[in-house]
Amino acid sequence: MTRLLLRALNAPALILLVAFGVAIQTSLFACWPLSYFQPDVVLIAVIWCALRRNFTEGGILVLIAAEIAEIHSAAPRGVFHITYMLLYLLVRGASKLFVIPDLASFIIVTLFGSIFSKFSNMTVLHYLAPHTSQWRNTLFLLFPGAAVEGFAAIWLYRWLEKFDALTFKDKRTEESLENELQLQDEGF
Amino acid sequence: MIKYLKEYRFYIILFLFILIPIIAIDTSTRAPRDYRFYDRIIVAGTAPIQTSISWLIDQITSGFQNYIYLWNTRKDNAILLEENRKLLNLIANLRETQQENLRLRKLLNFEEKFHIESIPARVIAKDVSTEFRAIRINRGERSGVQKNMAVVTNEGIVGRVLRTTPNTADVVTILDLLSAVDAIDERSRARGVVEGLTDETCQLRYVLRTDDIQIGDVLISGALGGIFPKGVPIGLVSKVNRKPFGISQEVEVRPSVDFSKLEEVLVVTNASSEFITAANPGSSATSTAPLSPQKPAQTTTQTLKGATSQ
Repeated sequence: MTRLLLRALNAPALILLVAFGVAIQTSLFACWPLSYFQPDVVLIAVIWCALRRNFTEGGILVLIAAEIAEIHSAAPRGVFHITYMLLYLLVRGASKLFVIPDLASFIIVTLFGSIFSKFSNMTVLHYLAPHTSQWRNTLFLLFPGAAVEGFAAIWLYRWLEKFDALTFKDKRTEESLENELQLQDEGF
Repeated sequence: MIKYLKEYRFYIILFLFILIPIIAIDTSTRAPRDYRFYDRIIVAGTAPIQTSISWLIDQITSGFQNYIYLWNTRKDNAILLEENRKLLNLIANLRETQQENLRLRKLLNFEEKFHIESIPARVIAKDVSTEFRAIRINRGERSGVQKNMAVVTNEGIVGRVLRTTPNTADVVTILDLLSAVDAIDERSRARGVVEGLTDETCQLRYVLRTDDIQIGDVLISGALGGIFPKGVPIGLVSKVNRKPFGISQEVEVRPSVDFSKLEEVLVVTNASSEFITAANPGSSATSTAPLSPQKPAQTTTQTLKGATSQ
C-alpha cells in the first residue's frame, strides 16, 4: 500500500521537484556571471519524462513543467509549451528509432535537446517579435549553455533515478511491484 | 465511439498536446497576460524558495565581499595613512617654507632699508651654557663671515660674530654679559652702552643720570664701535631706575629681537661707510678699530639662496 501511495505521489512530487529546481535555477543563477551558466531544469525534466514515462503521463507532466517555466519567465505565453512539447515529442520519437539506454546517452540527448530548445525558442520568438540581437545572444550562449546543461544533467538524472526508485516508478521496481500485486490478486 | 477513442487514443492525445500550446499562444495574444489561479499556487510555492536562496546568496556574497573589502580596506588604510603622513609632512614643510619666506622677505627689506650688504644665515645651535648667550650660525669663513661682523635681523640687532670656522660662526648675542653695543635713545638722543643681563633683558649702562630716558623709548645702535650699522633697533626701555645720587641711572632694556624664536639672521658684511668708523675687535663698543671686511661681500640675492640651502 505504501509503495502504491509512493508511486501515486511520484508525479506530484516530480512537479514539486521541478518547481523547486526552477526556483533554485532562477535564484541561484540569477547573479552575474552564474547567469551565463544557468542550466534548464525543466528541459531535463522533459527529457526524463519523454524517456521514462508513458506518453500521456509524460505529456501532461511536460505541459505542467512548461507552465512552471512560463510563470517564471517573461517569455510570451505558450512559447515554452510549444518548445517543450515539441522536444518531448521529438525525444519520444527518437527513442523509438534509437536506443537510449543509459546515463551517457541521456546526456547526449540533453545536449542536443538544449540546442534544439534554444533554437526552438528563438524560432517562436522570431515569429512573435523578430530581432537580430536575440539570435546573436542565443548563438553566443548556445554551446556554453549546452555544456552546462550536460554537466548538470549528470547529477540531475542520477537524482531522478533515485527519486524514481524511491517512489517505485522505475522499471525494475515497477515490474517487481506489478508481479507482487499480481501474486496478491492470485491469493499468494 | 469509445472503441474509436481507444483505437485512436494516441493520436487524440498527440493532437491535444500540440493543440494546448497553440491555444496558450493564441489566448496570450487575445487576453492580457496575468497569473491564473494555478500559476499563483506554483508561484506561492516557489517564491519563498527563491527568496530564501536569494537571501542566502546575498548573505554569502555580501559576507565574502565584506571580507574582501575589509581586506582591501586594511591595505587602503595603510596606504592612506602613509599618504596622510606624507601630506602632513608636506603641509608642515610648506608652512615652514612660507614662514621662512616671510622672514627672509623681512630680512631683505631690512637690508634694503639700512643699505647694507649681508649674508643670510640660519641659526643652527645655541650656547651649551645657559650663562653665556651665544648662537651658532651656518655661515663661516667660506661665506665671507669674519670676526666682529654685526649680526642683525629685521627686528634689530642680534649680536656680533665672536669666532668663525670655515662653515660656521659663533655669534655673541646682545643678551650675553660680554656684549656691548653703542646705543642711542631715538627720542632724546641720550647715549649709552647696551650690555647683556638676563635671557630676556639687557641693560643700558653709562647713561647719565640727567639724561632723559623713559620707559618705552626705542634704543637704536650708534655709530661708535663701528661694528653695527647706525640706526638699527636694539630694544625698548622697559625699566628706568633713576637714583637721586650718582652719575648714571639704571635702565633695563627689552631687546627688539625675540631670541627665543630666532631662526634666520643677517651677517652684515658691508655697511655704508658713514656707519662704519672704527672698531677694536673684542673690546667694548667705545673702543675704535677699523671694521672693513677682509673679503668682498657677496650680493644679497646670491646669499639668500645659499642661506636656505645650507
